Amino acid sequence: MERILDQAISEAQEAEVYQVRSQVKTVKFQANRLKSVDSASEEGIGLRVIRKGKIGFSSTTDGDDPHLLIQRALDSSQFGQEAHFRMPSPGKVPLVNCYDTRTAALELQEMIEEGEKAIHLVRKKFPYLECEAEIEKMEREVSIINSRGLSQSYKKTDYQFFLYGFLAREEEFLGVGEEESSSRYRDSSRTLAERLIELVSLAKRRVGISSGKYPAIFTSKAVPLLLGSLKMGINGKVVQKKVSPLLRKMRTSIASSSLNIVDDATFPFGPASSPLDGEGIPSRPTRIIEKGRLKSFIYDLQTAGLMRTRSTANAARSYDSLPSPSTTNLILKEGKVPFEEMIKDIKEGILVDQVIGSGQGNTLMGEFSVNLDLGYKIEDGKIKGRVKDVMISGNTYKMLKELAAIGSGARFVGSIRTPPLYFKEINVVG
Amino acid sequence: MKAHLMSCLNKVRADYVEIRYEEIRATEIHYVGKELERIGEWEEKGGGIRAKLKGGWSFVSFNDLESLEKNLDLAVKQARLLRRGKIKLAPVAPHDEIISLDLGKDPRRISLEEKYFLLSRYNQILLSPEDIQTSDLKYADTHTIKYFVNSEGTYIQQEKMDMTLGMTAIARKGNNIQTAHEGIGGTGGYEIIEGKEKEAEEVSRRALSLLDAEPFPGGRYTIIVDPKLAGIFAHEAFGHLSEADFLYENKRLARIMRLGRVFGSEELDIIDEAPIKGEGGYYLYDDEGVPAGKTYLIRQGKLVRRLHSRETAAKMGEAPTGNARAVSYEYPPIVRMSNTYIAPRGKTLEEMIDEVEEGLYVKGFRGGQTNLEMFTFSPEEGYIIKKGKLGKKFRDMNLTGNIFTTLSNIDAVGGDLVLFTGSGGCGKGSQYPLSVATGGPHLRIKDVVVGGR
Repeated sequence: MERILDQAISEAQEAEVYQVRSQVKTVKFQANRLKSVDSASEEGIGLRVIRKGKIGFSSTTDGDDPHLLIQRALDSSQFGQEAHFRMPSPGKVPLVNCYDTRTAALELQEMIEEGEKAIHLVRKKFPYLECEAEIEKMEREVSIINSRGLSQSYKKTDYQFFLYGFLAREEEFLGVGEEESSSRYRDSSRTLAERLIELVSLAKRRVGISSGKYPAIFTSKAVPLLLGSLKMGINGKVVQKKVSPLLRKMRTSIASSSLNIVDDATFPFGPASSPLDGEGIPSRPTRIIEKGRLKSFIYDLQTAGLMRTRSTANAARSYDSLPSPSTTNLILKEGKVPFEEMIKDIKEGILVDQVIGSGQGNTLMGEFSVNLDLGYKIEDGKIKGRVKDVMISGNTYKMLKELAAIGSGARFVGSIRTPPLYFKEINVVG
Repeated sequence: MKAHLMSCLNKVRADYVEIRYEEIRATEIHYVGKELERIGEWEEKGGGIRAKLKGGWSFVSFNDLESLEKNLDLAVKQARLLRRGKIKLAPVAPHDEIISLDLGKDPRRISLEEKYFLLSRYNQILLSPEDIQTSDLKYADTHTIKYFVNSEGTYIQQEKMDMTLGMTAIARKGNNIQTAHEGIGGTGGYEIIEGKEKEAEEVSRRALSLLDAEPFPGGRYTIIVDPKLAGIFAHEAFGHLSEADFLYENKRLARIMRLGRVFGSEELDIIDEAPIKGEGGYYLYDDEGVPAGKTYLIRQGKLVRRLHSRETAAKMGEAPTGNARAVSYEYPPIVRMSNTYIAPRGKTLEEMIDEVEEGLYVKGFRGGQTNLEMFTFSPEEGYIIKKGKLGKKFRDMNLTGNIFTTLSNIDAVGGDLVLFTGSGGCGKGSQYPLSVATGGPHLRIKDVVVGGR
């Protein structure tokens, strides 16, 4: 790495070398039994240079021959974007829990046993359900060095468990997926099996619903459907291009005053936790929405430079891409209302758990219109049964203003940590 | 390379082993608005080993070719964890073939500067109307040499060039933000993406016109879809269901998807065909070394075949179709589509519109998804049809239907088949984006749920 950096700065003003090494082990179950065991090792280097004030970049998986890498990065700089930043000098790096020795030491055999256990638990209750499972552990080492003396590296682990149950009746399929992911290993087989069993049990009965507007509860799993728009809206790059609907909304109320959202890479053992961002800036929490008011957008160095502000340590990248702003762990602060209370509160409404077709509409504006893949009808404070063959639609920004309640019991769904949310109104088309 | 891969392979003890090794070199140019986000070349080399012992698969991917022997050992060691059962593979005769590049204009002989100028011109066109706020313009030429060798004596070396050009225009008026997109792509030379000034103009024009369209209120309608959407419909509303890996171990599903089952009218043919030169899903051998061909999935409304890997074909007692594909060396091959389309018939668009009392004509493509029973797909724009006449324009629609009933609701098939490769790709599990083409003629479908606002 040092050699690449030295050679690069002999022809460029500034340079940065970003290296990733990773090891992934996956066990996969199909049709209730172990089907495949996979290993992937990856190693790659990205080189970013600033020459004559312009950015150049290239990447390779072949670190033995850096000459071509350097040449390509320098070549590309003649057409590159004008740099609006300087490479960061070393800063104080916080201690962030993102490496778990237990995960690192985890044996394939243990992962196989967990998958078997989860599938056994589900099948004991529903023998006719066909199960799939995918259990994955990852170890990654990231190193960044730059021409201003920054030289940092960190190790990270990840543990993911995905369990899926499927049932095909003539022209009525039921597929339920549950997932846990964290930097830290925890036997999730029972938790996942129980969540899956609950959702399948509730789906036994089919009920109809007529088109109209209804109150709706989104389970934690369903909330990312809504937050996808918000993630775009707060992205510094989208703001810089002036296509965020949150433009000029800073410090104004954009959501219910009960809503608080923080982006936090320092969250202990979160799926996206790390001590540094992709440019070597020390991680820190960024308040996005506080009491319903918009507090901050997220930036990397270049976007922050263009917007005459500072990086929020949100540069995301892999070795083969330039940094770009992205959320890390997006944390929606939980409320006090238990899930059961929310259900009890509804006379006639729906519970949304899984959808298909998200991201196909005008996501930028917050609009969504999706098929309800797994959803339930709530009647007189009780979950009545499964509703299907309907579309639900709404607008994220409008709904966040009309939040009826924020649930207790937050959990990570991907890198979003959220409790269930209760909304006053959603549009149902049947 | 051949001798090296073969000699390493011969030392391995397993029921079956295959090695894929890929050398990838690409040039990418990416504009977001006025800023050039990325320009330059990159390379990647890596391999994947798949081994089978008794009841399961073991897969190992790596970057460093020097670690091949070590990784072969690891693949066998991992495979020992799968003790139970037995996997059979449908027999395929060994092949020994080198398929070299067959190009028009080789993008590797065109300077970065020339590519930069072309892209800058397209970007200027996209951004020139006053209400266009920003653009997203992405170019890539990707050259891949793929080596495949297996323990049954097959050696295949395939070389290809993928070209993609994605053009997005984002229009803004006050708080109203609208997006239009055009994806152009295929396997072949630089000419695929040259001379697209008109298309760039058209994208911006469409984004602007959406500003004035009203959101659609939703409901149940007879719809007419354009060839772009017909292709997505073939892909989402049927193609995925014909991938045998989701049903080959599930008896209930296999019964539901029995060959001979009637899905649509006699007018309906759905085909998957990899060897269509120039299209995104073009290949001659799949990633298990099986020769690709033309597979009728639905013929005259009846389910006649499905897409297979060697494993699913053996299990179901059917012939392999050459549809095992991996998105890259980092993944094992799984059953995937290639170029999937609905065959043309005789109806004209005018006739189709003329016969509709009340309906929607939908055009352009934003995305699609399926859970194998229900599907969704989103058009960019729609026009209301009243008494055989096209009326007002709408936006923000998402169409949904049940795969098993919707195909039989197709009541008119047009004659104007067009195949689209686009600039994106298909996702399945974690494997995304896989280059595919989709296509069809104009179609009319009764009783479709249209979600709106």
